[in-house]
This record gives sequence, C-alpha cells and structure tokens, in this order.
Amino acid sequence: MTPMNWTCEQIEARLSDCLDGQLSAEERAAFEAHVRVCAQCAPLFAQVSQLVGELHAMPQAEEAPRLVYAILDKTLGPRETLSGWRALAGWLRNLKPQPVVYGIASVAATFLVIASAFGFSLRKPKLADLSPVSIYRNADRQAHYAYARGVKFVSDLRVVNEVQAQIRDNKAAPGESQDVLPASAPKKEPGSTDGTKPGTRQQNRANGVYHNFEMLAEELPGFVAPFRGRNIR
Amino acid sequence: MEQDAQLVQQCLQGDGSAWEELVRRHTRRIFNICYRFTGNRTEAEDLSQEVFLRVYRTLGSYRSAHGGFATWMTSVTRNLLIDHYRRTKRDRATDSLDDAMPVVENKESSARRPDEQALLGELSQQVQAALTKLSPELREAVILRDLQQLEYIEIQRVLAVPEGTVKSRINRGRIELARVLQQMGVRPS
Repeated sequence: MTPMNWTCEQIEARLSDCLDGQLSAEERAAFEAHVRVCAQCAPLFAQVSQLVGELHAMPQAEEAPRLVYAILDKTLGPRETLSGWRALAGWLRNLKPQPVVYGIASVAATFLVIASAFGFSLRKPKLADLSPVSIYRNADRQAHYAYARGVKFVSDLRVVNEVQAQIRDNKAAPGESQDVLPASAPKKEPGSTDGTKPGTRQQNRANGVYHNFEMLAEELPGFVAPFRGRNIR
Repeated sequence: MEQDAQLVQQCLQGDGSAWEELVRRHTRRIFNICYRFTGNRTEAEDLSQEVFLRVYRTLGSYRSAHGGFATWMTSVTRNLLIDHYRRTKRDRATDSLDDAMPVVENKESSARRPDEQALLGELSQQVQAALTKLSPELREAVILRDLQQLEYIEIQRVLAVPEGTVKSRINRGRIELARVLQQMGVRPS
C-alpha cells in the first residue's frame, strides 16, 4: 500500500481535523509527512496549532456585577431597594464572610493608635514626622504631657477634697459662722478689703489657695521657695 | 443540564427565584459570547440583556427533548448577534477604511476603558482585535468552538447548518485568525 500524498490545499482543508483528532491513522501519517517537508504548510500548521491552544487557555471575561441585576430588572421588573439601616445591615452582612476585612480594620486601628501616640498628625502628615528623632521627641512630649495632665488631675481632686472637708467642718460648728456673718450685716462684695474681718466665704477661699500653694510646694519645691515666709493667709 | 430543565419548569410555573438562578448560571457565558463577537463591553452588556429578555419571553417554546437549555440559549444569542451585526453593518461601513490595515498600536490607542484593558491580557486583546476582523460566520464558529469549547454537534444545532459546514467554518476561521494576527505583527511572518 503506497502512502497518500497530500497537496497543500488538502492540508489546509483538513488542518482543524488534525488538531481536533478527527483524522484516521493513515490520514494523520500523510498529513505529518507533508507538513514535515512543506515550507508553506509547516509554519501555517504551527501558527494555527499555537492559536488554538491559546484560545482554549484564554480565561472568560468577567461581566460587570450590575449586569445580573440589570437583566433581572428588565425581566422580572425593578426590585425593592433597601435604604437606611436595612441597607447598612445588608452591607454588613456582605462583609461577614470576609475575615480579611476584620484583619484590615484591626491593623488600621492599631496603626492609628500607634501613630497618634507618637504624635504623627494624620490630618497634616509630614515626611519629617517619620524620622527617628521626630518620633522620639513626639513620644517624649506626649509622655510628659500625659504625666502633667495626670498630676493636674490628682491635684484638682485633692483641692476638691479639701474644700469638701472645710464645708463639713463649717457645718459641724454652725454657731461660729452665725457670729462671723450676722444676718443684719451689710452686704459685702466678694473679695472686698475694707479693713473688716473677712467673712467665712472669703476665709474658705483663702484656705483653698493656701492648700493649693502647699501642694504646689510639694510638686515644685524650687519654684515655691522664694514665696516661703510671706503671709498669704 | 437537568437542573436547567428543572429551573425552566419552575420558571414557567411563575417561580421568580428559579429565573434568577438561571440568569446567574448563564450570564457570564452569554456575556462572553457577545463580548467576543462585538469586541465592545458596553455593546455586549446591552446584547446580553436583550438575549435574556428574549429567552424570558419565549421560555415556553423551549423543549428539552431538542437539546440542552444552554444550547438553546446559545442559539438565541447567535440569532440576536447576527441581527445586531446586520443592523449595524451600515455604521461599520463608514469606518471600514480605518480598519483596512489593523495594527496593534491602532488598537491600543482606541477608546477602550481602563478596566477593559486590565480585564484582558495583552494576548487576549490582540486575539479579540483579530476576531472582529473575521466575517460573522467564521467569527461565531471560532468563538463557539475554541472560546466556548462547544462540541461539533452543539455548534451544528446552534448554527442550524450541516456538520460539514460547521467543520469548514471552524477550519477557515482558525486559519484566517492566524493570518490576521500575523498581519497585525503579533506572529512572526
């Protein structure tokens, strides 16, 4: 049996049959024998063969997500749209199966806390704020600021305590206060110094100032030293 | 395939969720056929909507004994694409001079949305551009066979032509596409 001799026209006509595996063994042998030696058919076969492989491997294009809804609107009619809290709840439900969203949110929150602790302004970010010296200075300033606010808070608490204690003392001895400020006494402006004995209210203020001075002396002895010995009461 | 037939039956009984399921199952496939045929994303989306509208209106005429629902739907899509091609033929004739010698650079500079460029790889874009240069008969044959990977018998049903014609169109389509890519400089001469 003599092998088939195919022409270039035959090769071109049966090219896809060869690629799709639709040639008999004898036809395939004839096809390959021709392609091996033909300068025209060899590159054509190679190109089409490569193209078919690429076409088969080509991924599907993704449609816009709105397309499904547009089709449903066109066929079933417009759907009920959610608004307000229901829309927000729906949006949150969509987030639920995505743990990565929680991860991103917690990383962002941590970053914000650390950045604000180091004095980095997110409203007006500057590259200079990221240098180690700036970070150290900002952190140092923030620490001192926090400490100062803490000291002030404790000091305020102590003043309030002193005032309350003084009020309790005054209530415990009502007779004395009657003597100090009789009902018929002329009305005095707060803080007036007309040479008369100061009233209970003025005395309380003076006591409060004295206590504050004492506490300041404990906190900052160097600052208060020059005032020691003066009569502030 | 049986699930499709079941969903169709539920649709015909007025079950909206069954129709929604059918839409979700077939949207991407139909969109891809339209997109590969037209080469235009917006046009493909509009055509996909038209396909589903037509399917929805003629769902009662579908008979599962005559083939799968997907094949029936593909044939509705194909008919609509050919109608669309004929309708817009005059518009295309006016700018056919621009398309006479397609080159990759021209295609790259054409008005294509950025998300479209991201969507397709370079090769995919080149093949897409080359596909639109084929005649509609060859183009649809290549799309159905090589991009949708339908069997010959399914293509025969969709195109309603004999098997020999299907094979011939696929073969000519592939060879023509390879030549267009070569002319575009994508393949070595």
